Amino acid sequence: MTTRVKRLQMMAALGVTLTLALGACGGDGGEAAGGDEPIVVGISLPLTGDFSEPGKGVQRGYEAWAKITNDNGGLLGRMIELKILDDQSNADRVVADYEQLIGKDEVDVVVGPFSTRLVVPAARVAEEYGMLFVEPAGAAKEVFQQGFKNLFYAAPAVADDHYNHLAEYLLALPADQRPRTAAYAAMDDPFAQGTAYGLKAKLEAGGIRTVVDEVYPPNTTDFGSIAAKIAASRADMVVGGSQYQDGVNLIVALQQLRYQPRLAAFSTAPTNPEFARAVGNKTEGIIAPTGYTQKAPYPSNKEFVEKYTAQFGSPPEEDEANAYTTGQVVAAAVSAVGCAEQGDCQRKLVEWVRGNTVETVVGPLSWDETGKPKGAHMIQQWVGGEIQIVLPEDAREAEPVYPKPGW
Amino acid sequence: MPSGALLLQTIILGLLLGGLYALLAAGLTLYFGIMRVVMIAHSAFLILAAYLAWWSHTRLGVDPLLSMIVTVPLFFACGVALQRLLLARLRPVTLTMMSVLLTFAIAVVIEGLLGYAFTGTQRRIQLGYGSASFGLFGARVAVVKLIAFGLAAVALAGLYLVLKKTTFGWALRATIQHRDAARLVGIETDRVAGYGFGLGLATAAIGGTALALDTTIYPSLHWHWIGPLMAIIVVGGLGSVPGAAIAAMVLGLAQSLLQIPLGTTWAQTIFYLALFATLAFRPQGFFGGRLAQRF
Amino acid sequence: MPSASETAAAPFGPATAAAPPVEDVPATPGGERGRRLGRIAQVAAVLLLAAAVLAFPSLAPNPYVLSAGVVVLNYAVLSTSWNFVGGFTGYISLGHGALAGLGGYGTALLVTRAGLPSFVALVVAALLVAALAVPIGYAALRVRGASFVIVSIALVLIMLLVFQSWASLTGGSRGLVVPRPFPGLLRPEHHRVFYFLFAGLLGLALLAWWLVDRSRFGLGLKAIREDEDKAEALGTPTFAYKLVVFVVSAGFTALAGGLYALWFGDLDPVFQFSILTGSYLVLMALLGGVRHLFGPVVGALVVGIALEYFKVEFGNSPLHLVATGVLLALVVLFMPDGVLPAVGALAARILRPAQNSIREVTAAQLREQRRTAGEAPRQRRPVATGGRTHSTEDQE
Repeated sequence: MTTRVKRLQMMAALGVTLTLALGACGGDGGEAAGGDEPIVVGISLPLTGDFSEPGKGVQRGYEAWAKITNDNGGLLGRMIELKILDDQSNADRVVADYEQLIGKDEVDVVVGPFSTRLVVPAARVAEEYGMLFVEPAGAAKEVFQQGFKNLFYAAPAVADDHYNHLAEYLLALPADQRPRTAAYAAMDDPFAQGTAYGLKAKLEAGGIRTVVDEVYPPNTTDFGSIAAKIAASRADMVVGGSQYQDGVNLIVALQQLRYQPRLAAFSTAPTNPEFARAVGNKTEGIIAPTGYTQKAPYPSNKEFVEKYTAQFGSPPEEDEANAYTTGQVVAAAVSAVGCAEQGDCQRKLVEWVRGNTVETVVGPLSWDETGKPKGAHMIQQWVGGEIQIVLPEDAREAEPVYPKPGW
Repeated sequence: MPSGALLLQTIILGLLLGGLYALLAAGLTLYFGIMRVVMIAHSAFLILAAYLAWWSHTRLGVDPLLSMIVTVPLFFACGVALQRLLLARLRPVTLTMMSVLLTFAIAVVIEGLLGYAFTGTQRRIQLGYGSASFGLFGARVAVVKLIAFGLAAVALAGLYLVLKKTTFGWALRATIQHRDAARLVGIETDRVAGYGFGLGLATAAIGGTALALDTTIYPSLHWHWIGPLMAIIVVGGLGSVPGAAIAAMVLGLAQSLLQIPLGTTWAQTIFYLALFATLAFRPQGFFGGRLAQRF
Repeated sequence: MPSASETAAAPFGPATAAAPPVEDVPATPGGERGRRLGRIAQVAAVLLLAAAVLAFPSLAPNPYVLSAGVVVLNYAVLSTSWNFVGGFTGYISLGHGALAGLGGYGTALLVTRAGLPSFVALVVAALLVAALAVPIGYAALRVRGASFVIVSIALVLIMLLVFQSWASLTGGSRGLVVPRPFPGLLRPEHHRVFYFLFAGLLGLALLAWWLVDRSRFGLGLKAIREDEDKAEALGTPTFAYKLVVFVVSAGFTALAGGLYALWFGDLDPVFQFSILTGSYLVLMALLGGVRHLFGPVVGALVVGIALEYFKVEFGNSPLHLVATGVLLALVVLFMPDGVLPAVGALAARILRPAQNSIREVTAAQLREQRRTAGEAPRQRRPVATGGRTHSTEDQE
């Protein structure tokens, strides 16, 4: 189509571009780790895009961990240095990021990103490079069904087990008080759905009938129709597998329809500091599971809350705590094994984590063969205008209120 | 079989939603009529208006409805500028294709800037009357949804009156029908086209405010609006404002009703099924005229 | 293309409204030697390019750079596949991301559910997607441009909904894991193998494009691009042509998507069916130049590197979206024919001031040229004539 001359010029231009590109790619190869050099921790986080809000929380948690550890003299006498890349909440990017961190930047250890959707692809990269992969956010059970050998989830329980204490409590109620029907609405997300369906499976086994079972896409903004279905079913209890805003929206939509269940449980949303204002302070009796509380009695938690608050001006939430926990697990392994670099050291780190229990801000953690933690979440409830731990009994701050007052 | 109360509730919700769709689709089809432009950025402007309403409520403490005093004229000016400064520069031969890309680029820029200014966090206006509602034959109608519907209905009626009863509307319709002929009878089609774009974008300002009243907003939300809106204007017949409004009400209601048996996600596919069915069996749309035939 | 059809409909339609075809600067008579030199240089350049592409893996300093190379090659294959529709017919599809996603999911499902070997699954999936492209194309191409664009965008959104919701088949938001085709391979080796597979696929796609470009079929398609009404009036079966090329394009896109799935290993509807992917392909092809064989490849290289640069530069903010949008807008407004022609025109102006305009050829010269062209074999004829005429001549 072109004249020859033009085509020739086009080729020349192409050649130049390609040469430039090759030159750009062939840059630094990374330097070898020495004795007193910092331990570089590679992380990819969703700092922009759909998961950016929790992503930034996780980032603060890691930063707090690095600062507190360094203030205490570092690890193995070496300082911690974080190398954080932004994956834009995108799975393609998260893989490219870990590829870059491990292959190009040659970091000493890597830790996990946020959201189940990103954890699995990221864990595969780490696995195939033989790196230890402790992660703060991949709570859905699917993460542990991939056959990963190097993955450990640094939180007390996976999503399906979040409501275990609540299920036990409800099924232990006398038959005439126990709820008979339940409505479930869950976001189409492995984590959010996991929490609701974990409870659903246990309640169904205990004879509580499911009358509504709705799944909505993450982009849903109008909850009118879902709320209408739930209200029309007159279910005794409603369970929301929610992140944050969807939970708020669903609660407001249910309130618009004057639906008054005897129990309302929503994951994540009610523990958010903004929650009460968002639902117009009509929070009384709403239940949520949590893996972390600032008031937890574990020794390292006091230091964490204090120093975190000094660093960031507000106390840490669950995302921050999970990231901090991840750091604690890695630190424990590195101190015990006495090394932190790529290669055979990683295998030793993995072996150590698998065989030991680590004291963290969320309590002692240990893992099964698949990297699944062996714990359960606490249950919190809004009682007297404040969110308080009601289950299990030994951690209780307030008596559970059932049936809940109207909202 | 769903209960009568649920059915009634659903129909009410469907009609309230359909009203908003109708207003937004009317704007989208107006651009197409004027310039054969598929304006991908329409819903991005919608979200921008919603953010401005949210911002004025949260930061300035004024009622979100008052933000329209600023956003509607502002968007009108943006529309005129967009048409005169950007779209008019494109080569006429490739206008339809290139305008899609240009407005796509604008949508992405708006999304990026919104994310930069307000972060990706989902936002929602917290109104004192946010969860208030009243009963209607056993169903409940939320006050905010009714306000949103009212806004849409008034704006749509206003648009209709402007198009049918004013000299400008007459000139605009002439431009839509036959641009060259309109120019021959002395209509300044360029200026009319610019104002028409402004009018279309002004509907996005009103729609955005209505949207902000009762739903969550976030920067990338516009992608979830543009799909249904494009389907609506094709089903209604490209370039036909009444067609778009009718198709919007029908499809909005259908979506709501289908949610009962199918759930939220599958119900959304009704828009795309309607789109494919229309193109396969009646490409000119169900209410479109001469225009839609060719595009 | 509405305005084109409008001008055709209007009795006094100004034929000059059409853009001057960029590619048709006639070669000056007596440039036989230059032509031969040009051809040698051209072949040399292609060989050089191929050598550079093939040498890249051994030059890559670490697996990360190699994996970045795989990503860029994947973009190159995708945008070249896109260019079958976009380049030849001028119909712009924003939905090719969905076709790639279908190829990826098709391959993955055939491997995991039907137990087919990986590469058999890849080919079968591509054929299935090509078959699916027939009804989609039927709905989208019966009418003119605007509906096509709308359908292409709708395709992405509907596929996202379906693959998200049909969790029992696709895994939904839990994602789908594609088994590795070469399980024993270490990750750097895995990248290397797939790098060459993508390079091979790119070669295949380029070859197919080149063949179409030289064929009668290609001429018919280009006639559609220049003026669909006239092409139709002159007897080109426009609908059939458009449909065939759309199906070919879908097949190649699905191959690239499937190969990517085999390489990447994890599929998630949100990332497979993303409108942004489709827009990147358009940006690449347009930037490089849709009328050129290597345009999309150059575009993929430039955009691939630019995306990386935006990310580094605006890492923690969504400004990379703004940068992408501004880049797309600039290309659409100022370089709708792409960088290559723009650079080429600039270079031509500097190197050969005498040849900077089509008007340098006098009517007499043109007549002479046509006469000699008439004696040449028929196939070569349209090459020497103006863009608006070759469609008509082709139909004689």
